[in-house]
Amino acid sequence: MYVSPQREPLIKGEKDYATITNDVTAPMAGKPGKYWFMGITISTTAFLLGGVATFFTVWFGIGTWGLNKTIGWGWGITNFVWWVGIGHAGTFISAILLLFRQKWRTSINRSAEAMTLMAVACAGFFPLIHMGRLLVGFFIFPYPNTRDVWVNFNSPLLWDVFAITTYFFVSLLFWYVGLIPDLGTIRDRAKKVWQKKIYGFLSFGWVGSARHWSRHESLSLILAGLAAPLVLSVHSIVSMDFATSVIPGWHTTIFPPYFVSGAVFSGFAMVLTLLIIARKTMNLEEYITIGHIESMNKIIIATGSIVGIAYLTELFVAWYSGVEYEQYAFLNRATGPYWWAYTIMMTCNVITPQLFWFRKIRRSLVATFIISIFVNIGMWFERFVIVVTSLHRDFLPSSWTMYKPTLVEVGLYVGTIGLFFTLFLLFVRVFPVIAISEVKSVLKTSGEKKK
Amino acid sequence: MEQNMENKFVFDSKIKMILYGMIAVGLIALLVGLFSEGVVESRFWANLLLNNFYFLALALGGTFFVAVHEMGESGWQTSIQRVPEAMGRFIPFAGVLMLITFLFGIHHLYHWTDTAHHDEILAGKAPYLNTTFFYIRFAIYFAGWSILSYYLRKASIDMDSDADIKYYKKQRILSSVFVVFFAITSSTSAWDWLMSIDAHWFSTLYGWYIFSGLLVSTIAMIILILIFLRNQGYMSHVNKEHLHDLGKYLFAFSILWMYLWFSQYLLIWYSNIPEETVYFVERVNNHSTIFYVNLVMNFVLPFLVLMTRNSKRMIGVTGVVALIVFAGHWVDYFLAIMPGVVGENTKVGFFEIGLTIGYIGLFLFIVFLGLSKASLIPKNHPFYKESLDYHTNY
Amino acid sequence: MKEITKYISAYYLDEEDLLSGIKKMQENNVKVLDAFTPFPVHGLDKVLGIRRSWLPRVGFIGGTIGALTGFFFQMWVFTEGYQMNIGGKPLLAIPSFIPVTFESAVLFAAFSMVFAFLFRSRLGLGAENKIYDVKSTDNHFVVVAGYEENKSDDVKEKMEAAGATIIEVKE
Repeated sequence: MYVSPQREPLIKGEKDYATITNDVTAPMAGKPGKYWFMGITISTTAFLLGGVATFFTVWFGIGTWGLNKTIGWGWGITNFVWWVGIGHAGTFISAILLLFRQKWRTSINRSAEAMTLMAVACAGFFPLIHMGRLLVGFFIFPYPNTRDVWVNFNSPLLWDVFAITTYFFVSLLFWYVGLIPDLGTIRDRAKKVWQKKIYGFLSFGWVGSARHWSRHESLSLILAGLAAPLVLSVHSIVSMDFATSVIPGWHTTIFPPYFVSGAVFSGFAMVLTLLIIARKTMNLEEYITIGHIESMNKIIIATGSIVGIAYLTELFVAWYSGVEYEQYAFLNRATGPYWWAYTIMMTCNVITPQLFWFRKIRRSLVATFIISIFVNIGMWFERFVIVVTSLHRDFLPSSWTMYKPTLVEVGLYVGTIGLFFTLFLLFVRVFPVIAISEVKSVLKTSGEKKK
Repeated sequence: MEQNMENKFVFDSKIKMILYGMIAVGLIALLVGLFSEGVVESRFWANLLLNNFYFLALALGGTFFVAVHEMGESGWQTSIQRVPEAMGRFIPFAGVLMLITFLFGIHHLYHWTDTAHHDEILAGKAPYLNTTFFYIRFAIYFAGWSILSYYLRKASIDMDSDADIKYYKKQRILSSVFVVFFAITSSTSAWDWLMSIDAHWFSTLYGWYIFSGLLVSTIAMIILILIFLRNQGYMSHVNKEHLHDLGKYLFAFSILWMYLWFSQYLLIWYSNIPEETVYFVERVNNHSTIFYVNLVMNFVLPFLVLMTRNSKRMIGVTGVVALIVFAGHWVDYFLAIMPGVVGENTKVGFFEIGLTIGYIGLFLFIVFLGLSKASLIPKNHPFYKESLDYHTNY
Repeated sequence: MKEITKYISAYYLDEEDLLSGIKKMQENNVKVLDAFTPFPVHGLDKVLGIRRSWLPRVGFIGGTIGALTGFFFQMWVFTEGYQMNIGGKPLLAIPSFIPVTFESAVLFAAFSMVFAFLFRSRLGLGAENKIYDVKSTDNHFVVVAGYEENKSDDVKEKMEAAGATIIEVKE
């Protein structure tokens, strides 16, 4: 296959297949560094804090949250949607970019997919804890029971159960199937007997036979074909939690595609935030190059602009519709008591990413890091704005109220962030962060040496 | 037919005669529509709007196809790029025809233009829905689209005689500008020309839904033109791989269209708010056959047929599906326009079919004229070689 | 895949050499049994005569079963098992059933394909397939060929002629 010299190399430096194996497995063989220990200490502390908050919630009940009779959904659902959104980048990278033959995905897909799984786990925690009794959380699944009751298939919340479960399992399968050959590589490099045993066990007996590869490729492609519409469906269904209602500001038909775009947007921001740190601390700069960062920034600006257009469309149609409740909901978002949340959302999601139109900013690590944090914040506030501002002005003005999170709610949120980072730090220690075999397969066409 | 040295399409008299014939059929249909008792004025103008919009969408889709691939630094499409580029040439012609339609038929198409009868909801929308602003927007859209698509094509053709990379860079800048402009105007134009037919009704998704239809019908048109060119002995470098990729687009965008259609339908059906459901009630109750035929042609058939790798790699199969989808989106626009303008008694007779044949003839005439003026391959495009030497494993 | 006990393996460091090497060996009537590579080499399945995988069909069947199960289960719950008026919607509220139908189709398709893949390839948790050479998961492309009694030298020569770097005979 011919590759134009116009294209930037994806793998820098003088590399052959053996150096790729060594470079990627090296961080796993040595002892973790100082920064890793610092990171894991902070993140497990945050995670334990979440444990305490969970205890308070379960022991004293949902009353420990800042919810009231008007605002039944607050931080819990905001965080849920935020985490599910972040979980969209991984499968987008591995499935949709695979179908679009974007070779640059090979350096980032493995870690991004791992983030998907962790983010979805964090997301799932919020509906569970909101149900109060964690032990009977399985009630949400349809199973024959003595109460003779079935779940309500008419409810978008139940669609969510199916969507998130399917998404988690299919992402897990996709991630693990891709990981099998690399686990085989690690098994064959492992020095200690117990390591060889464990990786041998996990690698499913992979030997790299031509027949296996042929099937493996076919499987990856069809899984990608399945995962691509799945990515679209998951956040669409999440959006329907809101959009099927008749609450002004929630009921708008653009929600499904707009939520999907926002999800990919926030997911890429989180991937960037973590990978900018990881490539530095793990010496992977030759694999995750500035070119990769630039490509991700292009996706950020594309999805961010789509989100921006959706905001404006909503605003316009709210006015155009002539429905005064709809008009008020949007006016109140922008100028009501939560104007600051709306301003943060608009600034971080619509305005700052536009800086990526400049090539210099797209290729600057510092600028990218800062903007990616902005996007993370902005997308959190987007969900907060949607959830809280639409609820706090009820149809009955006597029910109008305000919402303020309590320490317990903040603790739960911090706890999931802790969980996310703990899992990620463990992941980088035990699994290869870069898809070894996939990077090898693009070395010939896209490595710097061959140019 | 032999491939000539310059790789130019020869617009010979035989093809010209056929297209003239098609245009003549269209003109006869137009006369029938003007003088026949059976074709009421609303039906007459609605059909003009339908065809205008559809073929404008194909032209815009062609330019969008080029622009978005240039932006994405895509390589595989460069060797077929001249076809969508030529499709973009129809934009200004569509503009003229559309202007004529609106100048004479606007009152039959949009009841919001009738300001004599006070309607409180429409009065609220008047700052946007008024004829002056309507024409101002019209002018902005067509000026932007025509100019950008003209210069985008020009930069590409200039590259043929001068291999300098500056033309490629120019193309990329123009592409970005076009995509940004089109991202906004594709929605607003759909609101202006289609959504405002049912002036009381509104849906935030509507613009993106229409856009997804534009995407998939454009792909169908590109496939059909490519097959025609190949049958005429041109574009011998276009092989199964290109066709496979276009087939994948046809398959994927059919699913995207269905997804957006369903999102809009589900949310309106679920919330059951009368001012929103009215749109679908009208269509399900009074046009139920077309309502379901639309879904079968645009989703069920392409989805089932194009699912396998083999069918996407068979020129005949992909071609037939492209033809179905092309007709299917005509049906989709029919369903979008007719109930609002004509009402319950919509018909598909000689007038409708003849007029569409005329438009197809005119559209193809402009496209072929464009193809005959420049080489069929952008040989100096930096990614052109990639497009010749690639194979899709999937 | 049966375990091969008696074989000669030839090594390459480059995938293009591997492809041309195998072709040369086959021309000289060497019985090439399999090749082990660190990543999927394009064109290798053609050279070795591996048929296109049936996994997509498995996925299609799994997906169809999933979709039908998902849809008819919901239908049964609402029209037979647990009839309930929800928001004035009809009992058979088809648009409402689409999301779950879709998700179960994807879930079934994905699981059936992955299990079919593992079963067909004899892979699985703790599975122990014969590792012909650990270098094949790093940077070597290994060709494994069979040979008849006392003819190993002949095969070896032919492999050398096909440009292999290291050649090992295993019994």
